[in-house]
Amino acid sequence: MQIPATTDNAALLLTRRTSLGLLLSGLIAGEITPAHAAAQGTLTIAMHVSLAPTWFDPGETTGLIAPYIVLYALHDAMVKPMREGNPAPSLAESYTASADGLTHEFVLRPGITFHNGDPVTSDDVKFSFDRYRGNSLAMLRDAIASFETPDPRRVIIKLKEAWPDFMTFFTGATGANWVVPRKYLEKVGDAGFKKAPIGAGPYKFVSFDPGVELVLEAHEPYWRRSPSIKRIVMRVIPDEATRLVALKRGEVDIAYSIRGELAAEVKRTPNLSLKVAPDGAMYWMYFPEQWDAQSPWSDLRVRQAAAAAMDYDSINNALNLGYSTISGSIIPRNFQFVWTAPKPVFDQAKARKLLADAGHPNGFDAGFYYCDSSYANLGEAAVNNLAEIGIRTKLRPMERAAFDKAFADKRFRKGIIQGSSAAFGNAATRLSAWVVSSSPYAYGAYPELDELYLQQSKEVDIAKRTAILHKMQQIVYEKQIFVNLWQLGFLNAAGPRVGEAGFALIKDFVYTGPFEDMTLKAQ
Amino acid sequence: MRQFIARRFGYSLLSLLLLSLTIFLFIRLTGDPTSLLTEPGATEADIAAVQQKFGLDKPIWVQYAYFMGSLIKGDLGESFYYQTPVLELYLSRLPNSLMLATVAMAFSLVLGIPTGILAAVKVGRFWDSAGKLFALLGLSLPSFLVGLLMILFFSVYLEWLPSSGSGTFLHLLMPAFALGWYFAAAHMRLTRSSMLEVMGSEYIKLARLKGLTETRVIVKHAFKNALIPVVTLAGINMINMINVAVVVETVFAWPGIGRLLYEGINFRDFPVVQGVVIIGGSMIVVVNLLVDVLYALIDPRIRLEK
Repeated sequence: MQIPATTDNAALLLTRRTSLGLLLSGLIAGEITPAHAAAQGTLTIAMHVSLAPTWFDPGETTGLIAPYIVLYALHDAMVKPMREGNPAPSLAESYTASADGLTHEFVLRPGITFHNGDPVTSDDVKFSFDRYRGNSLAMLRDAIASFETPDPRRVIIKLKEAWPDFMTFFTGATGANWVVPRKYLEKVGDAGFKKAPIGAGPYKFVSFDPGVELVLEAHEPYWRRSPSIKRIVMRVIPDEATRLVALKRGEVDIAYSIRGELAAEVKRTPNLSLKVAPDGAMYWMYFPEQWDAQSPWSDLRVRQAAAAAMDYDSINNALNLGYSTISGSIIPRNFQFVWTAPKPVFDQAKARKLLADAGHPNGFDAGFYYCDSSYANLGEAAVNNLAEIGIRTKLRPMERAAFDKAFADKRFRKGIIQGSSAAFGNAATRLSAWVVSSSPYAYGAYPELDELYLQQSKEVDIAKRTAILHKMQQIVYEKQIFVNLWQLGFLNAAGPRVGEAGFALIKDFVYTGPFEDMTLKAQ
Repeated sequence: MRQFIARRFGYSLLSLLLLSLTIFLFIRLTGDPTSLLTEPGATEADIAAVQQKFGLDKPIWVQYAYFMGSLIKGDLGESFYYQTPVLELYLSRLPNSLMLATVAMAFSLVLGIPTGILAAVKVGRFWDSAGKLFALLGLSLPSFLVGLLMILFFSVYLEWLPSSGSGTFLHLLMPAFALGWYFAAAHMRLTRSSMLEVMGSEYIKLARLKGLTETRVIVKHAFKNALIPVVTLAGINMINMINVAVVVETVFAWPGIGRLLYEGINFRDFPVVQGVVIIGGSMIVVVNLLVDVLYALIDPRIRLEK
């Protein structure tokens, strides 16, 4: 029996029979390791978020994506999302799963070492998992029956029962399969490790000033490829305009998160280039009253009218220079098990007719439109589009923490909510988080969707599971539970010295990487 | 005198206690930090684990008891975001803030005091109006705007100064000026009003009657006395510059305590916000206590007041 792996490539389903695929891609990855000239030069990245010492320790990942910027440089995992695939072999050269989906075996590459020269062994892998205390920990611990290391290169994980999403959680955005050096950690302790981390990644730690700057240096014996840039400096510049000025002046080479007008300025500036990571967070409208028979939103035609009222392309062009992706689903197009929903079409005449057919020829007052204030501009555009067909709402931007809390506490019973998610996973995890009745963010549910969700969670046959998840997404689309606004194209900028900036090379990752593939032009 | 000092010391402790309670409660009114420490859509188990890790699952009075217990021992807690002791974080940023505050204070005094004197001496004339305009702009222009305009002019057009960061004296100039201008305006206004008050006093008239030169009257007699309130204000302003230069430090990516506070507020990092506010507040309380004691030493009427 086949079990699903976290991949969008059906050819990479991982069983003993098909593990050759991963093994082969591992060999290919090994083969692309060229005899690089010695690493040289310094590349400085202007960060939009503050660097924290917790980012140096994969054992403390909380599910936020930004810390993976540092993890991809300093550390390595057995398998992880890479440009070769998701998952792609990394410290493990091969991975196999038994037909019943209960046993997962990883074989480490021979001769790989940490930055201090200690070999990477299966003992380090087990130690890393045992000390892991980040996100999805309870789920992983509950599922695993045993974690065995029969020899220094082999890791065997046995599950209590088949869990189709095991690899999604184990190798996705958790730190559970990222490997830290046991001997070193036992010597320096957790606090010492955060002050001087040692990993098995392409760059080694040089210095860190909390919240200010991190300096890394190439680890030339890195197994996949010797990095071509000698030093990477990650400098925190919180203000977006200051980041752009620093880039223009050549003080930094890459600036993360340059949006709107500033992004347009990047496009106008010779020698600067706009770098788009297309697979950013999804943003959508949600109608919490759709289960209330007294509410206009309970009528499918009203929700469809809202979908037809959105001038998707104009909003995208005005707010994100057209770099976001318009789709009809809240599941990112790059996710495993995604069903491609028809692209929504802006049609005001159709929207007005749908509203009139639903008994609201003059529209109606829809209360508040709640949104996270950092994307209030998107909300404002949606509110204006709704007003044009007669659905009158008032924008209610809220600070992110307060918004998330109120959303999850189900305090937005009336009106419209602008939801968003950048969380990792696959179509099943996204449906679990936002659609089924057990979701903290669902204000209601449809029994057939709950039933299908339960079915897929036990289904280990990949084809059958895919079919069920596609059906679920189709129902979500047909019921117009959401109106998807866009999948954000994350905008960044690079200066003239940069050869390969590394944006969007790693699947499902909007920042730079793999660092060993990044280059400077002068070289 | 001992009774006076004990009473003032008691008031200071009470102020600090009220400050700690206020900041503890107010920062918690801003929301739950858990959602900022996890991605939207995180599982309930993950959210609960984060809350448990930082003690946010406990009742608020229990959290306050822990907080006060640690505070008494000099422990300001550990940052949620950095997972580093707050005191360590504070001390690591302190040298940068001290450097920025010292240069900004020098700017503010060098600009503010002479302008204030000139405005007072030439009251109602061109220099007075120019000084008042300088003060008006300094107090009303938002420092982020001043900062960005300076970056545009000195970094982008003239290419004289680095746009952001720290490390050299050149990095310091723009943030110090952007920060110092506001305080220069405040010092200018106080110097002007203080000088005007002193210039109208009897002993200045006597000095003039004695035939002293105007320069000598202003510098030796008027300015010395007018300076006392300005120095007192400058002391308090120095503490503010060290602790709350939030906007300037953010615009110029200056790694000081103001930026630490900004990050703390952004991430709902309660221990960081509490720590910075309490240290800053303690500095002000201690300075005020010392000033009270000094006044009492100088003027016995103060310490005998009930």
